[in-house]
Amino acid sequence: MHQTEFNYQRKDLPAGFSKYGLIFLVAGIVLAVASFFIDQTRAAFNYLIIYMMIVSIALGSLFLIALEYVAGAEWSTPFRRIPEFFAGLLPVLFVLVIPLLFFSHDLFHWAHEEAIKEDKILQGKAPYLNISFFVIRTLVFIAIWVLFYFILQRNSRKQDTSKDQTLTTKNIRFSAAFIPIFAITITFTAVDWLMSLEPHWFSTIFGVYYFSGTVIAALAAVTLVVVVLKEKGYFNPWITDDHLYSFGALLFAFVNFWAYIAFSQFMLIWYADLPEETFWYLTRWEGSWVIFSLLLIVIHFIVPYAMLLSQPSKMDPKRLKFISVWLLFAHLFDLFWLVMPNMQPLKKGYIFSWIDLVFPILGIGIVLTVFNFISRKENLIPVGDPKLKKGINFHL
Amino acid sequence: MNKNLYGFAALFKTPDEIIEAAKKTAEAGYQKYDIHSPYPVHGIDRAMKLKASKLGFITLVFGLTGSAIALLLMYWTMSVDYPMIIGGKPFFALPAFVPITFELTVLLATLATVIGMITFFFRFPENDHPLHDTEYMKKVSCDHYGLVIEAKDKLFNETKVRELLNSLRPLSIEEIYYPEKETYPVLETKFVTFLILIALLTSGVTYFALNKLLYMQPFTWMMDQPKLNPQKQSTLFADGYGMRAPVKGTVARGFLPYPFTGQNAPTDVLLNPYLPTKENLQLGEQKYLTFCSPCHGNFGDGDSRLRGQFPNPPSLHSTRAREFSDGMIYHIITNGQNVMPSYASQITREERWAIVNYIRVLQRAKNAKSSDLQVVNKETGTNASN
Amino acid sequence: MHIDYSQEAPAVAGRLTLSQIEELVARPLDTKPDRKYFIALSISGSLLLLGAICLGISFYYGIGLWGNNQPVGWAVPIVNFVFWVGIGHAGTLISAILFLLRQKWRTGIARFAEAMTIFAVICAGIFPVIHTGRPWLAGYLLPYPNQHSLWVNFTSPLLWDVFAVSTYFTVSLVFWYIGLIPDFATLRDRTTSKVKKTIYSIFSLGWRHSSRHWQHYEKAYMLLAGFATPLVLSVHTIVSFDFAVSILPGWHTTIFPPYFVAGAIFSGFAMVVTVLVFVRKIFNLENIITLDHLEKMNKVILATGMMVGYAYGMEFFIAWYSGVQAEQFVFINRAFGPYAWAYWIMVSCNVIFPQLFWFRKFRRSIPVMFVIVILVNVGMWFERFVITVTSLHRDFLPSSWGYYKPTFFDMGILLGSFGLFFTLVILFTKSLPVVSISEVKAVADGAQPTHRGGHHE
Repeated sequence: MHQTEFNYQRKDLPAGFSKYGLIFLVAGIVLAVASFFIDQTRAAFNYLIIYMMIVSIALGSLFLIALEYVAGAEWSTPFRRIPEFFAGLLPVLFVLVIPLLFFSHDLFHWAHEEAIKEDKILQGKAPYLNISFFVIRTLVFIAIWVLFYFILQRNSRKQDTSKDQTLTTKNIRFSAAFIPIFAITITFTAVDWLMSLEPHWFSTIFGVYYFSGTVIAALAAVTLVVVVLKEKGYFNPWITDDHLYSFGALLFAFVNFWAYIAFSQFMLIWYADLPEETFWYLTRWEGSWVIFSLLLIVIHFIVPYAMLLSQPSKMDPKRLKFISVWLLFAHLFDLFWLVMPNMQPLKKGYIFSWIDLVFPILGIGIVLTVFNFISRKENLIPVGDPKLKKGINFHL
Repeated sequence: MNKNLYGFAALFKTPDEIIEAAKKTAEAGYQKYDIHSPYPVHGIDRAMKLKASKLGFITLVFGLTGSAIALLLMYWTMSVDYPMIIGGKPFFALPAFVPITFELTVLLATLATVIGMITFFFRFPENDHPLHDTEYMKKVSCDHYGLVIEAKDKLFNETKVRELLNSLRPLSIEEIYYPEKETYPVLETKFVTFLILIALLTSGVTYFALNKLLYMQPFTWMMDQPKLNPQKQSTLFADGYGMRAPVKGTVARGFLPYPFTGQNAPTDVLLNPYLPTKENLQLGEQKYLTFCSPCHGNFGDGDSRLRGQFPNPPSLHSTRAREFSDGMIYHIITNGQNVMPSYASQITREERWAIVNYIRVLQRAKNAKSSDLQVVNKETGTNASN
Repeated sequence: MHIDYSQEAPAVAGRLTLSQIEELVARPLDTKPDRKYFIALSISGSLLLLGAICLGISFYYGIGLWGNNQPVGWAVPIVNFVFWVGIGHAGTLISAILFLLRQKWRTGIARFAEAMTIFAVICAGIFPVIHTGRPWLAGYLLPYPNQHSLWVNFTSPLLWDVFAVSTYFTVSLVFWYIGLIPDFATLRDRTTSKVKKTIYSIFSLGWRHSSRHWQHYEKAYMLLAGFATPLVLSVHTIVSFDFAVSILPGWHTTIFPPYFVAGAIFSGFAMVVTVLVFVRKIFNLENIITLDHLEKMNKVILATGMMVGYAYGMEFFIAWYSGVQAEQFVFINRAFGPYAWAYWIMVSCNVIFPQLFWFRKFRRSIPVMFVIVILVNVGMWFERFVITVTSLHRDFLPSSWGYYKPTFFDMGILLGSFGLFFTLVILFTKSLPVVSISEVKAVADGAQPTHRGGHHE
């Protein structure tokens, strides 16, 4: 069989990663701290959005790694390091979550004792929605993710030198164990941090809804980095049009999946018209929120769907770069749409504040800096992975 | 013989050879040639320099047509032709139309793709192609790979083609000829008779199915029940009626006869059994506004829009009306008076008494005394003497 | 266990040549059916006859013969409908989704699974029609301009079902037929019988394996797969809407669409494994439908089984979390009420037993997998039973509480649907190639060029 030559030499990431990462991080921290002093509640809500965005990218990446092992996928092996680096954000979550725990009173209606006293339904939920259990859950979940991240990542790096195939077997087993745990933890993370912002509302599909966005965010982040690095020559000639096509196809598939889940949730609630469910959507139909709701459909579904529909567009690097930035924004917008209408002063409609623009800067700073930090001294390609050769010679 | 030559066919044993053959043939500039293989060989379209399939356009166009048809159909039937409120949803309930729109899009797109491919791209069915029933076809159908260069090609030259094929070192080279034209005895009597018979049979079956079969009931038990229907004839009774008259003096359940007619109201026996409580007055007000106010006006002044027509609806604040006993008003509502018809069938007994109470309130309000104000002030705690 | 991850497992075992593959697949069509075949056919035919008789009697006397009554008006007929539609999901999933995911192992099983899809949808289609009580009026389900100037209700999920199931049936049939065209051509060219040749010629439409055609053919196959994938999801989603758009606790919950789809794939794969275990043995197809393929299917069964388990758990959690009393009652009643037996059959068959597939040994053991997939089939039937019946049997007023029992005729018709399904499957194995000849040839060893020329970038 004709083989693509493989002679990988490690190169440092482009300097832009550390430079822009640092600039964004410093600017982000300064602005974020300032905004906390100006409007604590609003800053807390915005910080929550960015926190969830980072969870999406990090946890989604870990899921992509596990999926590769479990499904026995080969095409994604050459760039598996990229999701591994993104998953390196998971240990950072321990630090990032601290401010949220401090500001939980600003975020969560159920954290107010006087509110629970008057509310029979919240009393019923109190065994689950209370601060101590909430904190324990959050920390345990992060610990579990970090544990699996360390195992999968360490085995993968060990393989760079040892080329030991049993490490792949081990990782397959851990990945198989991780996926059900992932399903449960991500569901309750979504319930805790997003659904319980409106503690009276409930939807069984909500975990799946957040999961669909998570995968899009992680895939888009990985696609963006791979395409950028390929253009700078880091992955040449091992990542071909066929790999890019697979990225495009997967993004397309998950855009559809998100739309399917979002539509299912909306349709069922709209159709049954039960007041205990519809009010959540009605809040998002109130005042100027209606524009956001309609824009969400356009941004998160119609535009990416149209842009990825045709076969050539799925492997066009320029378009992939654009669409992955777009989809990252779309997921951020989705989180914004989920979170912000729960903020008391914004219930009747959106009021602009510069604080909303600050936190994405902080998010970009954190992601870039951590990515750069984790990836230093590491091979960008898992050179010892037994599936690598097949991955490089991947043809549709 | 050369006239009937379809082309030269060469057979190969491995996929690598056929890729090489395809490349060489394409490079030599031939247009009308083809590769045959029992399954799609990877990279053959690139080797043959084929343009990408345009099939996707059919899919796109017909998919969009499907969506449009579905949405228009649902819009027209549900919002224009026969609008009906179902489940409190708007006439054009877009979320509920999504499933069918999607299904019709898929249905039309798939069918158009497949039918378009078979008829337009393949020009199938084509069972009389010269390649059929050749040794060559049998081989490429199983485990060989074949190259055919057609005689129709502009560059076709027997010796050159042979040279090219030989240079590719095939297993064998075969000359393929058009089959002799078959004659179809279309106008033979036998065939025409057959056609006529088919036509007769089809029309007969269609007539039977549409005019007879459709109107045959499989069974009619639900309709033919052994029972007597009201208003229908019956042989069971001597008088031939299915219905029986009730026994004389029978009174329907919940029905109390009202024996008084004309102006002779036994006002002394008709006493108001209801106290003017708040609930009773509210009921009276509601019923008064519904049934009485169209003529007598909202406040009993007789000032409804019927005023000015003959005869004017009377005011309820006349001395005569005020001096009516409760029973008299009840009697008038029940039986009617002058042009006022009876309201017995519209207003229940309880409601009639409630209306009487309410009329009393109206009459009192129009003729309030200053002493009444004192009572009101005492009850509400305000001072509204002016 | 040592696996070399750098080597690709062959999709066809035993290093078969192309003509051997063809010989193997076409043999059942060339030989006369033996005694075993007729025994199998007579068993399934008897079941079919039983169903037909029960159905005939039901038509004659009316559907009062069935157990459906207040408050359980939707019962076994709908359960059977959802069950069969679910079975019908594996085929298109294997041929469409796995095709898009470039899973080569699908080639050996795709044709069979697609055929099962079509047969299962036929079985499914019977139930809503007979459930109306007057199946000869089924034409009213279609929107056509009629003299009553009435239209069907396009906002009703039951009408969506009509469109979804008929579209699904049509597209599956087309997909199946498209896959069969090259095989018909191959059969046409190898047969010696004149009658068979005429039939195969008609159905092959004159296919001649031309690469110019293959190009469009592959494109069409991909487009069809691209459409069939969301179609599969949509069909069971719409079936779930039948329940979930209502306001009945136990039916109205937002996870129903993906939950039903996962359940459908789960039951469909289980049914495919059930049948393939026999087919590969009887027709000596062990090299084409290998143990590896079955193991992969068992992995999918494990995964979808856990998705279904996730949905069970989520429903319970949200029922409690919602604070809605009626919702909480329904779920407590489901697990501990009069139908607790059905609920625990469902949970154990769908969630607990498939966990054995975590172990490679069980995944690759034919007897173990056979027992498990049978249990899964049972469990998935009970899942639909639990959803339908337990949600209905405790109406909002205790005076309208009841206990539903299916009657002899209910069960007779269910058995009859199995008879119909297996009769069609058995007839199929002898009349059409049960494995796609051209697709399997394409993934055989040495079937694809090696690109020695280095042209391929």
